[in-house]
Amino acid sequence: MNTVTAEEKAPPAPRRRLPDLQLARFSGLYLWAAIIVVFAIAIPDSFLTSTTAKSIASDQSITAIVALAALIPLACGCFDISVAQLVGTSAVVAGSLMSKSGVSPELAIAITLLFGLAVGLINGIVVARIGVDSLVATLGMSSILLALSGLLTKYQFVGPFPDSFKSIVSGDLVGIPVITVYMAVVALIVWYLLEHTPLGRRVFAIGAGEDAARLAGVRTGRLKMGAFLASGLLSSVAGLLLAAKIGQVGPTVGPEYLLPAFAACFLGTTQIKPGRFNVLGTLLALYLLATGVTGLQLIGGELWITDLFNGVALIIAVSASILAAKRKSRRQKRVAAARAS
Amino acid sequence: MAAAETTAALRVEHLSKVFEGQSALDDVEFEVRPGEIHALLGQNGCGKSTLIKVLAGYHRPEPGATCTLFGEPLELHGTPPPASAPIRFIHQDLGLLAELGAVDNLALTSGYQGHWWLGDRREARATREYLRQYGIEIDVNVPIGTLSVATQAMLAILRAIKDVPAERLVLVVDEATAALPNEEIKIVFELLRELRQRGGSVVYVTHRLSEVLEIADRVTVLRDGRKVDTRPVAGLSHDDLVRLIIGRPVEAFYATGETHREKEVVLQVEGIAGGACEDVSLEVHRGEVVGVTGLVGSGYESLLRLIFGGEERRAGSVRVAGELVEPAKPWTSIKAGLAFAPGDRKRLSAMQAWSLAENITLPKLPAGGGPLPWLGDRGERRDAQAWIDQLAIEPRNPAAPLSSLSGGNQQRVVIARWLRCGFTVLLLEDPTQGVDVGAKPAIYEALAAATEGGAGVLMSTSDIEEAAAVCDRVVVLVDGRVGAVLEGSQQTTDRIMATALSAKANDLIGASE
Repeated sequence: MNTVTAEEKAPPAPRRRLPDLQLARFSGLYLWAAIIVVFAIAIPDSFLTSTTAKSIASDQSITAIVALAALIPLACGCFDISVAQLVGTSAVVAGSLMSKSGVSPELAIAITLLFGLAVGLINGIVVARIGVDSLVATLGMSSILLALSGLLTKYQFVGPFPDSFKSIVSGDLVGIPVITVYMAVVALIVWYLLEHTPLGRRVFAIGAGEDAARLAGVRTGRLKMGAFLASGLLSSVAGLLLAAKIGQVGPTVGPEYLLPAFAACFLGTTQIKPGRFNVLGTLLALYLLATGVTGLQLIGGELWITDLFNGVALIIAVSASILAAKRKSRRQKRVAAARAS
Repeated sequence: MAAAETTAALRVEHLSKVFEGQSALDDVEFEVRPGEIHALLGQNGCGKSTLIKVLAGYHRPEPGATCTLFGEPLELHGTPPPASAPIRFIHQDLGLLAELGAVDNLALTSGYQGHWWLGDRREARATREYLRQYGIEIDVNVPIGTLSVATQAMLAILRAIKDVPAERLVLVVDEATAALPNEEIKIVFELLRELRQRGGSVVYVTHRLSEVLEIADRVTVLRDGRKVDTRPVAGLSHDDLVRLIIGRPVEAFYATGETHREKEVVLQVEGIAGGACEDVSLEVHRGEVVGVTGLVGSGYESLLRLIFGGEERRAGSVRVAGELVEPAKPWTSIKAGLAFAPGDRKRLSAMQAWSLAENITLPKLPAGGGPLPWLGDRGERRDAQAWIDQLAIEPRNPAAPLSSLSGGNQQRVVIARWLRCGFTVLLLEDPTQGVDVGAKPAIYEALAAATEGGAGVLMSTSDIEEAAAVCDRVVVLVDGRVGAVLEGSQQTTDRIMATALSAKANDLIGASE
């Protein structure tokens, strides 16, 4: 009986699947809209203001760059969990150079970026050349960077920084916080390179199957090295923006970016391009979480809500992407079985 | 039809299965007698996998199907048969844990001797005694990944049947021997014969017709979801079977041994060493198909990978059209004009999660026409669509994920990838492994098309019949060296086998004990 109805339903099935797929791809977008509507009704006075919108946009800009830094190695199947600590340590390096050694902001920025590249290079050598598991290698690197932060700061706050340095993130550009503009430029470049150039395609090929990629002519070692370099560079950019934004840095800054950045990357795999790491999905996930957290804070005002929300989101993100993949493969199997037999 | 006088070991009647409007099985009736080895044959898509999957409880058949095991009804409703039903399945993936020994592999499904305390010696003794009943003497503690494939297959069989008395056993061997070279299959056959001797019944699903002729008592052939016939094997010839399977005469079917060889050498391999290869040199000429074969462990399995640079080699050099390929890496090889289609299609030859378009374009990505490279979905899919149409890959949808394709279509995607990329020499590992008789000509035609364009083809194969029939020359490896290069009248199955066995014969006989 079941099978008869299945047979009758068979022809319209592909037509029904299309809007369903769109829902899966853009569920985050709808959810985001829903969150905004809910808070707009609940707390219209405090939530629906340009101040709130701007603060979400600018607060999340640094996290977004860290998420992009994590995304590039993830695309080639590697974890770089040192991105978060590198943000903090880069801020400390830049701060120490300016306020302790009296280096000019321009030179301090250049040295900090080189520092980020150097950390990426070491991660790349350890992972791509020596072959250490990326999680282990970057865990070790995180600890080394944490030690470096302590060494440079002597566990004191560093700063304040010169105004010329702080001015790089102050102000608006046509109503958009400058720091958000920086983030958008970085995101645009990463989106273009990862998703619309042969280079980016090869990076994703490594993540999809390293041996198969190598046998198709992809120079896996080189590209992995490049991914870690890019990751290091972006993390130090985020560190510089952070230092400029808060004006002085302490020795413990950094690790708080780890969870939201990776949560955004994994939640992002359920959006826009399901089953794959992608830039737009990551940003969407990040701003979705941030909007939810901000709304909750405006209602309840408790700080721990951020951590709770991020933790729950990480678990839901990974579960959702696994369930989506399972459903997809079940559907494919059904189609394949039908075709094979 | 009249009911069988003796109770059949397995009897299936009125079995139909429809997938999304397409009939996969149409009122199939199938009967296996006690104590016989019954071969199930047919092309890919003929319904034999569906039949096995229905029995194994993977698919639910259409209403009206009945199944009995030794006269007792077996419900077919899409769940695996209960452990009490005396039917057991061996699939192509044997499901063994390569890093554990025979003791653990057997005990993980059928239980250990001890309940509260596992005594290594007691467990080993029990396993050894069980295996000895079937004449297998191995070290039960070494990781079974280090044992021969034949031994592994036998362990998988013995594990499955451990708790079933032989005279009430129906064992379904579903292409479990597809990965085995001819000589090792013979060892497994000994075990199947032993089971038959004890009264057990075997359903043997395979692509290799010579195996059917060698071991089966009766054969059932399916075509397009319908049963063509069930016949005793005695008196059938290889050609008879082919005719039953494909429904047309044999002459139109085998590639002719026409030689395309010209003088120019496109691939020159010198002194390759690495893996099981000790020292291999060979040449491929323009427009020529050269086969490489040998016994398992002779080095033929890894030779192409070593030539391509996919696996590190200890020594040797490769020249493509006279140019030395340096360093020996896949990307330099591709640049020099080599293309490589690995035998491990699942893991090595393409990205399962990627779309057809992405898989086809990977080695030579389109960069767009503007000042900055731009890889756009639409342009890429249009590009791929042309190749999908040319090679008649189903579905003709460049956005479909590769994992949704059948094995033969996946192989064509890999060939499309390299045809698009362009090559001087194509390296093919076991191109028709797991591909059945009906689909093989399509792959041979692709080879012929490649050689007519002036390319050379070097293909490694475990199928000696195929090597003899398809190649212009056959290089037989023995213990990591070139044992002989056979061509013309010397290029026969017997001669190839004799060469391959020339040094290894004694080892093989030893392994069966």
